Amino acid sequence: MAALAAGKGAFREEEGTGGDAAAPQPHAPTSAPGARLSRLPLARVKALVKADPDVTLAGQEAIFILARAAELFVETIAKDAYCCAQQGKRKTLQRRDLDNAIEAVDEFAFLEGEFSITG
Amino acid sequence: MAERPEDLNLPNAVITRIIKEALPDGVSISKEARSAISRAASVFVLYATSCANNFAMKGKRKTLNASDVLSAMEEMEFQRFVTPLKEALEAYRREQKGKKEASEQKKKDKDKKTDSEEQDKGRDEDNDEDEERLEEEEQNEEEEVDN
Repeated sequence: MAALAAGKGAFREEEGTGGDAAAPQPHAPTSAPGARLSRLPLARVKALVKADPDVTLAGQEAIFILARAAELFVETIAKDAYCCAQQGKRKTLQRRDLDNAIEAVDEFAFLEGEFSITG
Repeated sequence: MAERPEDLNLPNAVITRIIKEALPDGVSISKEARSAISRAASVFVLYATSCANNFAMKGKRKTLNASDVLSAMEEMEFQRFVTPLKEALEAYRREQKGKKEASEQKKKDKDKKTDSEEQDKGRDEDNDEDEERLEEEEQNEEEEVDN
C-alpha cells in the first residue's frame, strides 16, 4: 500500500514539475477509454487543410473533427481490408487487400487511382 | 518542403496504432499496406476539406467550421461517422470550456492582486487632494474677512 502511494506520489510530482502552469488537474480523471479525443496531431491535419488553395481559414473545431474523422476512416478501411485478408485465410494485411476494399466499397471510390501512381 | 499535398503524411506510429486497435489480436499489417492506408488518410482529409469548404462558401463564410465538416461527411457518404463525430465534438467543446474557465479563473486571480495594489495607491492620492481643498477653504475665509 505504502509503495503504491509512494509510486503515485512520485508520478504526481513529475506531472507537477512538468506542466503545472497549464494543467491544474492531473491526467488521471480523463483516462476513460472513450475520452481520448484525438490521437492524430492537429498540426499535421491543419497543414493538410491549408494545402488546399481554396481554403481561407479553418476553425479549431473543424480541424479537430477532421482529425477524428481521419481516425475513423483508418479504422474503417483497415477493417474492410481485413475482411478480404480473412477470405484468403491470411493474418497479415497486404496491399492488395486494401486495393480490393477500395474497389468493393463505394465510399472509397475517391481513392481509386490514388495508389496506381506510385504502383 | 512538401512537394505535393499528398506527401503530407500523418505520423506512421499513430496510424499503425489505430489500425492495430481496429483489428483483432494477432493480425499484422505489411509495410506497404500501412503506408497505403496512411496515404489514403491524407487523401481523405484533403477530399473532406474540399467538400467542407464548398459548404462554407455556400454559407458565404471564409472559415471552415465543425458543421461544414459534418455536412461533408454526409456528402461523401460517410454518414456512419456523423454520430461518433458529434459525440467527439461535444467532448472536445467541454474540454475547451474547462480549459478556458481555468485560464480565466487564473486571470481573475491575477487581476484581483493588481487591483488591490492599485487601491492602496489610490487612497494615498485621495488624502493629498483633501489636504489641498482644506487649504483653499482657509484662503477663501481669509478673503471674506477682508471684505
